[in-house]
Amino acid sequence: MNRMAIRRLLIANRGEIAVRIIRACREMGIESVAVYSDVDAEAPHARLADIAVPIGPAPALESYLAIGRLIDAAKSTACDAVHPGYGFLAENSAFAAACRDAGVTFVGPPPALIDLMGSKTAARDAARAAGLPVVPGATPPDQSNAAIERTARQVGCPVLLKAAAGGGGKGMRLVSDANGLDEAIDAARREAQSAFGDGTLYIERAIERPRHVEIQVFGGAHGQAVHLFERDCSVQRRHQKVIEESPSPALTPALRARMGDAAASLVRSVGYRNAGTIEFLLEGAGDEARFYFLEMNTRLQVEHPVTEAVTGVDLVRAQLLEAAGEMLPWTQAQLTLRGHAIECRVYAEDPAAGFMPQAGRLLCYREPAMPGIRIDSGVAQGGEVSVYYDPLLAKLVASGETRAVAIDRTIAALRDFAILGIRTNIPFLLDVLADSRFRDGDIHTRFLDEEAGRLVETSRALPPPDEAFAAAVALVAGPGTRDQGPGTKDLPRDPWATLNGWRN
Amino acid sequence: MVPKRFTVRERTNSRTVEVDANGQVTVDGSDRRLAVTGLDGAEYEVSDGLRRCRVFVAGPPDAREVFIDGRAFRFEVTSTDHRRLKRSAAHADAMTAPMPGTVVKVLVEPGQQVRRGDILIKLEAMKMELPVRAPHDGSVKAIHCREGDLVQAGMRLLDLS
Repeated sequence: MNRMAIRRLLIANRGEIAVRIIRACREMGIESVAVYSDVDAEAPHARLADIAVPIGPAPALESYLAIGRLIDAAKSTACDAVHPGYGFLAENSAFAAACRDAGVTFVGPPPALIDLMGSKTAARDAARAAGLPVVPGATPPDQSNAAIERTARQVGCPVLLKAAAGGGGKGMRLVSDANGLDEAIDAARREAQSAFGDGTLYIERAIERPRHVEIQVFGGAHGQAVHLFERDCSVQRRHQKVIEESPSPALTPALRARMGDAAASLVRSVGYRNAGTIEFLLEGAGDEARFYFLEMNTRLQVEHPVTEAVTGVDLVRAQLLEAAGEMLPWTQAQLTLRGHAIECRVYAEDPAAGFMPQAGRLLCYREPAMPGIRIDSGVAQGGEVSVYYDPLLAKLVASGETRAVAIDRTIAALRDFAILGIRTNIPFLLDVLADSRFRDGDIHTRFLDEEAGRLVETSRALPPPDEAFAAAVALVAGPGTRDQGPGTKDLPRDPWATLNGWRN
Repeated sequence: MVPKRFTVRERTNSRTVEVDANGQVTVDGSDRRLAVTGLDGAEYEVSDGLRRCRVFVAGPPDAREVFIDGRAFRFEVTSTDHRRLKRSAAHADAMTAPMPGTVVKVLVEPGQQVRRGDILIKLEAMKMELPVRAPHDGSVKAIHCREGDLVQAGMRLLDLS
């Protein structure tokens, strides 16, 4: 048994996830080392850690993505392990290998597994080999229109014609019935040829209006393979998740068991280690629903607190234990799903301006505190939200005994989440939560892309209440209002501040 | 203390907000009188005497931000009193009685040129003689009182251009 305690951990990340990991370190008696770029010197993660090391200028390529600098920081502070968080270098096998070569434990799977599951084709092959359903599809060796048509009929319409050589939607054609095939094949081939220099087409069953349902998994150093049930992430905008929940409103107990078993068998078959997530597309609902392997994320997910809320486990703690060579803290039989949890991602973005990311000083930042609410955040009042990084400000996770309770709690907490200085998506989140289709659980991955415009316009049409107009003059009142709010000290002096007071 | 009036604008929504001498706030002349109380930092309580709500306020008058019940608004706040004062200065100044009393002497006639500090009218109140002086150079536009009149505070005595 390769057992070694972690005494000092470098967190190769920033923001809320760095704060989350530092907290786990503190609980476990592990010293935490934060790294920070020039604009993050005062950021909460840098202030909270036991040790903080400057890592370079603001652009991520020169700081949070600079493998050499991170390894140097780990060595100079005598860290015995590195946690990559999510994003940045979390799924970069070169970074995992560099840690290993420097004699530092990488908290995550070994580099070979990051590579295996990071390649779409290799991951798909591995999933199929483990008996997981994948979206039916094939690359016909004979690329004539007639042969492609035959394949399309076998796969079953609607089909997607994709460039075998590339991705990013280039050369992709959706064909809903066989009559339009000939024309679509020619067009897709031309596009594939011009975009990738290779006109070879891959024919795949189109899953229309699918749900995004992922299974949290964990692999142990001693051959353990468990799943921690699902998260439904169907509420996404342009492939960016906005609201995640567990359990999925679309899963029956039987389907949940089948998907969980499938995910655990993939973990077992590839010998996966540490935390991971297996993403599926779900077609239909109920026992009849079909699921297809989509891809695997070889890291901790943003939305991991949803799973923590319904299973009662601590995934970061488990990651650190596994990395230290210990047994996983739970067996499959010990894991149960209880109640319901919903996570809302609070982004610095303006829904009324096409969800444009916002930057600026947080004049007011007040987190709600109430039963069933957990907030993971990496910002503070008076702090600056910069343009350099992800616009995620905080994750609000509400849990309750039922989905309805969790929704009610989410709404109550968001109404009390006061953020001023920059625009956020809080009003938009409230509109989504109030929408009857979300309430009914009747959503798919295109839901927000189709409905976001309508939701934004509906709430914008409402004028501010009189109370808001009345409060707007509060600061012009004068000596009575001794306080202009924290963080406003550097703002231009209020020209009305000399008027007489009226506060009572 | 005199009431204060503000124009508060949010996109196409504009309201006149008045703050009276007791600090009570009315919006567009509504019957609902709102009290705004500062709590902690950016936090305020707005109450109509029965229902109360928490709001958060920050930022300068031309970009005043208010968070209320999950929604955030950006307002532009301007003082209408300020504008009116400026505008009236260019036109006629209404000279009013500073306190209740009797007009004992009218020293000017309409059209008469006066200089700043000249005595225009003498009032008598509480056994004291009170001169009303020209606040600036100009000419007398109109006279609204006669010797012997009893006047209330704020009553218009004469107009000066």
